[in-house]
Amino acid sequence: MQHSLLRGVLLFTLAVTLGFALMGFEMLASRYLYPYFGGGINTWASLIATVLVALMLGYLLGGALVDRTMSPRLCGMLLVAAGLYLFSIPLWVDPLFSWILTGVGDGMAGIVLGATTLLLLPLTLISVFTPFAVRLLLTSVTFGGRLVGYVYGVSTVGNVLGTLVTVFTLMPMFGSRALTMVFAAITAACGLVMILSHRFLRGPGP
Amino acid sequence: MTRISVFPAVRRGFSALAGVLLGLASWQPLAAQQTGLLETRESIYNNIFIFGDGDSVTMTFGHNKRYFTESRMKLSDPGALSVEYTKYMTLGVAYPPKVERILEIGLGGGSTVSYLSSALPDASIVAVEIDKDVVELARKHFRFTESEKLRTAVSDGRSYLMRDNAMWDVILIDAYRGPFVPFHLLTREFYALVKSRLAPGGVVVQNIEPSTMLFDSATATLNSVFPSVDLYEGGGNVVAVGYSGPSLRQAELRERAARAQERHKFRYDLRTMVDARRVLQRPTGKVLTDDFAPVETLRAIEQKNEKWKDQTEAPR
Repeated sequence: MQHSLLRGVLLFTLAVTLGFALMGFEMLASRYLYPYFGGGINTWASLIATVLVALMLGYLLGGALVDRTMSPRLCGMLLVAAGLYLFSIPLWVDPLFSWILTGVGDGMAGIVLGATTLLLLPLTLISVFTPFAVRLLLTSVTFGGRLVGYVYGVSTVGNVLGTLVTVFTLMPMFGSRALTMVFAAITAACGLVMILSHRFLRGPGP
Repeated sequence: MTRISVFPAVRRGFSALAGVLLGLASWQPLAAQQTGLLETRESIYNNIFIFGDGDSVTMTFGHNKRYFTESRMKLSDPGALSVEYTKYMTLGVAYPPKVERILEIGLGGGSTVSYLSSALPDASIVAVEIDKDVVELARKHFRFTESEKLRTAVSDGRSYLMRDNAMWDVILIDAYRGPFVPFHLLTREFYALVKSRLAPGGVVVQNIEPSTMLFDSATATLNSVFPSVDLYEGGGNVVAVGYSGPSLRQAELRERAARAQERHKFRYDLRTMVDARRVLQRPTGKVLTDDFAPVETLRAIEQKNEKWKDQTEAPR
């Protein structure tokens, strides 16, 4: 009982943290896109669509992987990879975007390409976490509905906080480059936690 | 089911009524049509409202239930610059040794570029406007006409400058979206890009609203790239002129203004306008960068309109 409660607390904490970081990255991405592609509703449409595609791919991939492996370590490794990718963004974003701007232009194709290179891969890897969390916590079908509700609810709380706190508090204090790297480090740290607590998270299981 | 079948009848009734009303409207004399809301358009970037008021037509962007004037024109005198600060925007042409090429970011109704184009018919002028509907409405309501020498480009101002390597003698920046200037048109990186597109002796001219803390950061940022920044007050707005090299002596600037005035016979005399010059000496704001530009936060802190003068001195 004690064991499963702790597992729940750990996975829900990870869900809030990763939810926070995920939306934080979406808001930060707008700061990278504006100087090259303008700050209109078209930039936001491309950005939001890209994030939703990443969520879709992550959910599909995560579901497939967790059923096959039941491995928190694998999920952790994907999160570390996402963190490393995101951490490197400030290093290459400017040359890449100016190349896209001259090569592709600032229309929909250009903005979507920009948002895709920035976020698609790492946010896909982050959202792999959600099906992993559901499956790892699922011990009985009786509670299945509630459990899925909790996991999505809790990670959405993280999303909401990540959106508001990032924009209204963190960005005016720290600037977007530093924040990107801090969020990336937090993402990687979540991954490390999963790798290190592999046995614990996997539980007694069959 | 029966309720639904009533609707077409109701709709027919409405359209008949609308037809009568439209008929009445077209029967009204022409002058009456020029008053009130002439056109409203929801473009991809703005909610644009065109108002007529007897002799004048105004382009506004709606924001927060308020209308922000972007441009105004007197129908009986379309060549006039009705918004006070725009007269000072034209002062940019007094600074460079020659003015052959002018770029404007933010078209509005196009009065400033039209004015400059008629005074400098040989100059090549390009107005960059992000919103194609603004260009259309300028043509439709503000008698804005493009020509070989006065062209428009529909693009974000910054991405236009990045993609186009041409050099300019004067770059005018007046890109407001309602009350806001997009952050990426207020950073050190942006001004560095602007500077790299200025011909030797060229100047950047920007309209800045002085009633919030954002003003201090905007002038400090401009000053971090352009060692000399002059400020002119016009109708509550401040027009900043930035250029490379040491600050011009007032006598020298007067002489240049007199020469330009003589050559181009501007309706609004450059010689009188240069006397309003203040020189930025002590920028107090924080320099904005692509990385750190909390423009919304800064804009939320109001300050007295006159306070900006503390940062300046009279020219010598």
